[in-house]
Amino acid sequence: MDESTLIRHAANGDATAWEPLVLAHQQAVFRLSYLLLGDPDDAEDIAQETFLRAWKYLKSFDSTRPLRPWLLSIASNLASNRRRSAGRYFAALMRAFRDEPTSTTMEEKSSQKMQSNDLWKAVQTLNLPDQQIVYLRYFLDLSVAETAEVLQVAEGTVKSRMSRALEKLRNIIQQDFPVLIEGHEA
Amino acid sequence: MNEMEFEDKLRALANQMEYPRTPELAGSVTARLRTSTRPRFNSKALAWSLTIIVVLCSSLMLIPPARAAILEFIQIGVVRIFPKPTEPTIEPHITSTPAALVPITATSPSLSSNIIPVLNRMTGKTTLTYAQNKVDFPIVLPTYPSDLGQPDYVYVQDADGELVVLIWLDPQHSDQILLSLYIISNESWMVRKNQPPVIEETHVGKQRAIWTTGPYPVIISNGNIQYEQMVNGHGLIWADVDITYRLETGLSLEEAVKIAESLEPIP
Repeated sequence: MDESTLIRHAANGDATAWEPLVLAHQQAVFRLSYLLLGDPDDAEDIAQETFLRAWKYLKSFDSTRPLRPWLLSIASNLASNRRRSAGRYFAALMRAFRDEPTSTTMEEKSSQKMQSNDLWKAVQTLNLPDQQIVYLRYFLDLSVAETAEVLQVAEGTVKSRMSRALEKLRNIIQQDFPVLIEGHEA
Repeated sequence: MNEMEFEDKLRALANQMEYPRTPELAGSVTARLRTSTRPRFNSKALAWSLTIIVVLCSSLMLIPPARAAILEFIQIGVVRIFPKPTEPTIEPHITSTPAALVPITATSPSLSSNIIPVLNRMTGKTTLTYAQNKVDFPIVLPTYPSDLGQPDYVYVQDADGELVVLIWLDPQHSDQILLSLYIISNESWMVRKNQPPVIEETHVGKQRAIWTTGPYPVIISNGNIQYEQMVNGHGLIWADVDITYRLETGLSLEEAVKIAESLEPIP
């Protein structure tokens, strides 16, 4: 059964049709939630809530459209709301900065993976809309059109916001994480 | 490093990102779906209100013209817009209104001459910071026009569901309202617009939206609270999964859409 058919079945109350759709999209939904929240337990909560919310509103969803951007849109909204409550996000952010990896871990990790973590730290210093767009485009590898679908804006808006976000990110990297672009800058 | 090289570098690093193992969600989600057989009510008041609505709708279904009228409405989020019927309909029964709770419409002529005392009497007056701490959804502000600034008045009204009202005064006429934005949590308030003279379908970003022009009555209800207000201005309504937005202004449709598309969460 293709996605569109599964969505129609699920919208009519068939929970067994919803299960393969959850399986197909759970990784992207969980990863976006994790990137936005920085905590795997919170990310799991949000991912689960995303699929429950989506199920609830499935009748209003156009089954001819791809499901993933809609799910990511819900996850992004829920994670953003979670970040605003109880300072959880900031606590996670502080942990991310405070917890230096042990020497053993450092040896195990490749330099590139440590750099990926540094990139994440750099992105976390951006404001929320900028973070969302960077995560969607570069971490989840969504196209401009898909990103526009998630953020519910025009593709041109994605491009202009992306450009501004990248400029800010580049400044942050140059100032705080220059190793990420070492060898490239004159 | 030029822009393209920078993007390539970002993409390469992002692809190396280490994530925790993705939890197996399918089983837990479907288990929760199977156990949640009853709809969730926000409160007894809302449940009671829904019961009344169900009873009312059931009895109206017995009358063919009323049935036709009930089914012919446009819904955006929590807002239902009832176009002018072609057949006679049953007039809605309006209950008494707690005056202090009534939000102000953007362009009500009866109020526009001396709006400030009324705004000061409205329930739930607060600050943006306090409002954001109080509600679960992000409060958004227009970034267009660029000189609009922050709202002059902020209200949070909570009766089994949160409703944020932001009001900007007209800088040229500081006793009149330029713009008001209602941010309404879905699953809470129900807004009903009766027979606006103009109903036009449009879009805010990629979201379907409806543009209405007054005058027409708006009925806002939640649980056992219900009130009616007369809207003379224009209204743009759109919704996402969690929130319904209603922008009231005397500006044109094009300007209203620009304002709506410029909304950004408060920092």
